[in-house]
Amino acid sequence: MSIHIHHISKTFGSFNALKKVDLEVKTGELVALLGPSGSGKTTLLRIIAGLEFADEGAGSIKFHGSDVTNRTAYERKAGFVFQNYALFNHMTVAENIAFGLRVMKRPERPSREDIDRSVTELLRRIALEGYGDRYPTQLSGGQRQRVALARALAVGPQVLLLDEPFGALDAKVRKTLRKWLRQFHDETRVTTLFVTHDQDEAFELADRVVILHEGHIQQVGSPTQLRENPKNEFVANFLDCVMI
Amino acid sequence: MAAIVLNYPNRTARPRKATSESPFSRWLIIGIAVAFMVLMFVLPLVVIFQEAFRKGWEGYVEAFDDRATTHAIWLTLQVAAITVPLNTLFGLAAAWCVSRFQFRGKRLLTALIELPLWVSPVIAGMIYVLLFGAQGLFGPTLKEHGFKIIFALPGIVLSTIFVTFTFVARVLAPQMEAQGQAEEEAAMTLGANGWQMFWRVTLPKIKWGLLYGIILCNARSMGEFGAVSVVSGHIRNKTNTVPLHIEVLYNEYQFVPAFAVASVLALLALVTLILKTLTTTPRGAA
Repeated sequence: MSIHIHHISKTFGSFNALKKVDLEVKTGELVALLGPSGSGKTTLLRIIAGLEFADEGAGSIKFHGSDVTNRTAYERKAGFVFQNYALFNHMTVAENIAFGLRVMKRPERPSREDIDRSVTELLRRIALEGYGDRYPTQLSGGQRQRVALARALAVGPQVLLLDEPFGALDAKVRKTLRKWLRQFHDETRVTTLFVTHDQDEAFELADRVVILHEGHIQQVGSPTQLRENPKNEFVANFLDCVMI
Repeated sequence: MAAIVLNYPNRTARPRKATSESPFSRWLIIGIAVAFMVLMFVLPLVVIFQEAFRKGWEGYVEAFDDRATTHAIWLTLQVAAITVPLNTLFGLAAAWCVSRFQFRGKRLLTALIELPLWVSPVIAGMIYVLLFGAQGLFGPTLKEHGFKIIFALPGIVLSTIFVTFTFVARVLAPQMEAQGQAEEEAAMTLGANGWQMFWRVTLPKIKWGLLYGIILCNARSMGEFGAVSVVSGHIRNKTNTVPLHIEVLYNEYQFVPAFAVASVLALLALVTLILKTLTTTPRGAA
């Protein structure tokens, strides 16, 4: 599913977090939103998910051509993964993963057996077979983030949004999960957008990288394009390469 | 959480912390605290039961074999049964507003939540008399339509709601603020509507705090004297709640019945204390 962002602005009080942002993400793409803290990348991601609403006015967000600008988060159902996992600590791992299926309206809701089957399959996929009965607090950070991913994927979202998904993990786990996510994306081709402030992460993972600064998109391009041809001084400085 | 167990070869070898006091001042401080607690809380409690049982178990039981007493207990139960659920709802709503939304007047609302703590209960009662009493603002209109609020159950309930409103909200607001709302947001992106989000995610997160607030609210609604005293009119068998009835009995020199009924409220306080301890003890993963 493609995402079209057109002229989106967001103001918090007197602070302009986003200033008329335009961006298009193609179906099946893996795109990174990269920028220093306070650049508006998380705000943009949250607006796409429907967790935050853009300023009233000209801007619009379209999922696969249909306007979702005024839709709520639960109508948009974009898979969202939070930096600090946001797992339901009072539920087991299996219950966490099954949550999105269990809250479906009755006609759409899969049977109990089907839900169990999906959960087992997802646990296998995130290499946590046999962990279904544990509670999130009994898992390591890397395991928790994998559960959060499985939970987001259980409902079969058309868009996956990840907010600094590996930000709270140590370097080694980060690397493993990064590889895992890339591999997972290659298999499923779910349109994915992820926020990071880590250049290496963005360049290693993404098909295209969006560089944000002070609420403006500075440049969009493939890692090679950006490195070889930074558009302005900020991008050059930020990527630590020389303007030609 | 893992407990850290430190093994010292013997007590005297315990390393002295910079903040620790000398044994003398330590025992002095503990002594003062304990003496104060015994004098102010334990002794009165003992006296209540001593007086209640002055004429033995029979005298104690006899005290409850009285229509005015049973009516007072029944009325108090009614008041609590109406007040506690309503204030649970109001408290949840207020805590939700304060912890989840940014809006104009939020600070005022936060202050209003604490209002019952710094306004004298008597004033709370007076407000309702001035509003709904015979000479009050809405008094004549209400009388025309046959509603009786002051010197009746509705007035007692209203003033009790005022006095006990603060408990649930005050316990929950800081707790909900500290917990943040990432889990609620996760539930929403997974397709949960507001109702499902509340029952499946928010309520389990706040249940112990909520229970604690409800227990406090219940204890206070059964024990409230000042506000209820103003609006009730002390009509025996009609508008006397347990605390008011105790005062009436005491003023009539019926000491054994007075203290026997008082012992019921004291027991309520003890049960509340136990439940409070149970609900605020940290437990494992929850």
